[in-house]
Amino acid sequence: MAVNGDLVREIEELQVAAGAYHDRHQFISDFTYPTDTRIAVNFTCDFDTMLLRRVLNEPPVQLAKGEFGGRVGIWRLIELFDSHGVKATIFTPGRICELYPKAVLAAAASGHEIADHMWEHRVPSEPDLELDHIIKSTEALENLVGKRPAGSRSRHTLAMLKKQGYIYNSHGSAAHLPYYMRDDDPDSDSWMLNLPFHYAIDDAMFFSFAWLNSENAAQRITNPERVLDMWWDAFLQQYEQGGYLNICLHPFVSGRALRIEMLDQLITRMKAKPGVWFPTCEEVARYCLEVFPFRGGK
Amino acid sequence: MPWKEGYTSSDERSLSDADVHWPDGKKCCVSVVVDLSLAMDPEGLKASDFQNSTAEFGLTEGLDQILETFSRFNINATFTVPGAMAEHLSPTLQALHADGCEIAANGFKHEDVSNLEPEEERRRMDLATEILTDVIGTRPEGWFSLPRPNDRYAGGTFSPNTLRLISDAGYSYLGNGLSDDIPYYWVTDFDKSQSLLTMPYYYHFDDQFFLLFPKKGTGLEHADTLFANWVAEFKAQHKRGRFFNMTLHPYAIGWCNRLKLLEDFFRIMNDHDGVWNPTSKACAAYWSEAYPASSTLQLEPSIWKDYPGSLS
Repeated sequence: MAVNGDLVREIEELQVAAGAYHDRHQFISDFTYPTDTRIAVNFTCDFDTMLLRRVLNEPPVQLAKGEFGGRVGIWRLIELFDSHGVKATIFTPGRICELYPKAVLAAAASGHEIADHMWEHRVPSEPDLELDHIIKSTEALENLVGKRPAGSRSRHTLAMLKKQGYIYNSHGSAAHLPYYMRDDDPDSDSWMLNLPFHYAIDDAMFFSFAWLNSENAAQRITNPERVLDMWWDAFLQQYEQGGYLNICLHPFVSGRALRIEMLDQLITRMKAKPGVWFPTCEEVARYCLEVFPFRGGK
Repeated sequence: MPWKEGYTSSDERSLSDADVHWPDGKKCCVSVVVDLSLAMDPEGLKASDFQNSTAEFGLTEGLDQILETFSRFNINATFTVPGAMAEHLSPTLQALHADGCEIAANGFKHEDVSNLEPEEERRRMDLATEILTDVIGTRPEGWFSLPRPNDRYAGGTFSPNTLRLISDAGYSYLGNGLSDDIPYYWVTDFDKSQSLLTMPYYYHFDDQFFLLFPKKGTGLEHADTLFANWVAEFKAQHKRGRFFNMTLHPYAIGWCNRLKLLEDFFRIMNDHDGVWNPTSKACAAYWSEAYPASSTLQLEPSIWKDYPGSLS
């Protein structure tokens, strides 16, 4: 044994890491929907327009590419959702309230949920500043639309979000169905519902050049029909098992006319099936919290 | 932060579909831009860009093939050329010009101008303008700053001074902007309400990003994807009554099966009613008359507040 001591220690370290991460999750094993509902489909829009580009200090043309989302894309998505009676969730960085206030107000007026997407689309590493950003974003959204955001899509410290009244986050994909998650520290009061979204159900993966700084040879820009087929299959697979689908759209990507057409077809097909629920994320979250609350534990 | 500089280049909202009208009751505007540049890298044209068979094809048979296709489908196009290529292409450009095509500038040697000092950028722009004016006998009206295949981003490159310099040099429009899918105004000075008319461009409709991209030999061939994007966007914009631009490179799209897709696209396009297919120059002239910046551009004053710990 002594000759393998170093290797055994490596195994132990991996096991500790795996166990610690697993322990941060509590899954909902007996999930069901109300009678007659087979699936909830959340259309979520990350309305960050050019903010991530600004954070990454990308050149003006990248900002202009994002700007399309604020000037054109968000309006088209609101129009599309309204034409189908779909209530969407618009994850909005607080700063957008100063750049595109009319679009945010229009989305709220149509009954779409306005949720947080980080003050300026980044999470500061300093805890005080992180809290400052959470408060700034929360207040900016609340002051503009008159309702405090209930959810966030971010890597923010969950305990901080919870203290500001947030009831859910929508980030990561440890399960198809909503699940509970906490921060790394088991003693922090941070268990929060997570509404999973997956990068394969994210428009930017297919349509945004240099997405997340990917190299030229790694570009995957494609056409709407191909994505429609993939997402329809994703929907059907979850529909058959009474699951959940969270479709992540960026107004600067999906607001392009050819993709609005694709989404129109996707929603039309979904609506033709019985039992498809198009709520806001907050509605899904409140349903889960009421019917499948956190079961306690650390 | 002055106005929304660094975040925004135009007003908060584009024109709605209902507010967009084209001449003579036409339903949709289609612009075809042909980039004659052979520059592959951000540094712009270099000797090796000309010394390969693909480049040679692009300036000879590839171009002829495209022109033949255009003439069969009655396509009006804008040809963009770097100043440094204009003398080399002089007979070609003169023939195109005589034939009613628009010749516009695509940089001096189609280089990334992001980090040029203003004086140097102006010097290059002036020389490009001078050469093009000499070759075609009239001043170009459009300035383009189109992307190259090996650029980091696919939207073209601009320095903080580019837009102002284009305006000062007397150009009436910038050929490639990403903030709208109809012509729009790129604000150059908020305080003085100055802006430059900008024509929409989007890399999903630019052949170079789908045809052996990023490099011949190892790049991926997605001609079918390019075609699908053209058709989907054209149909969607035609339905909305807006605008569609495709950007072509003869060395790329002129090659056999790819050329067939271009013809298939024009066949679909010509089956639609009310398509207006002007040169970029003609579209710019219409737009600046029908939608002048003075009444179209709705600039809101900034409500941005600076905070410690937040980006300005």
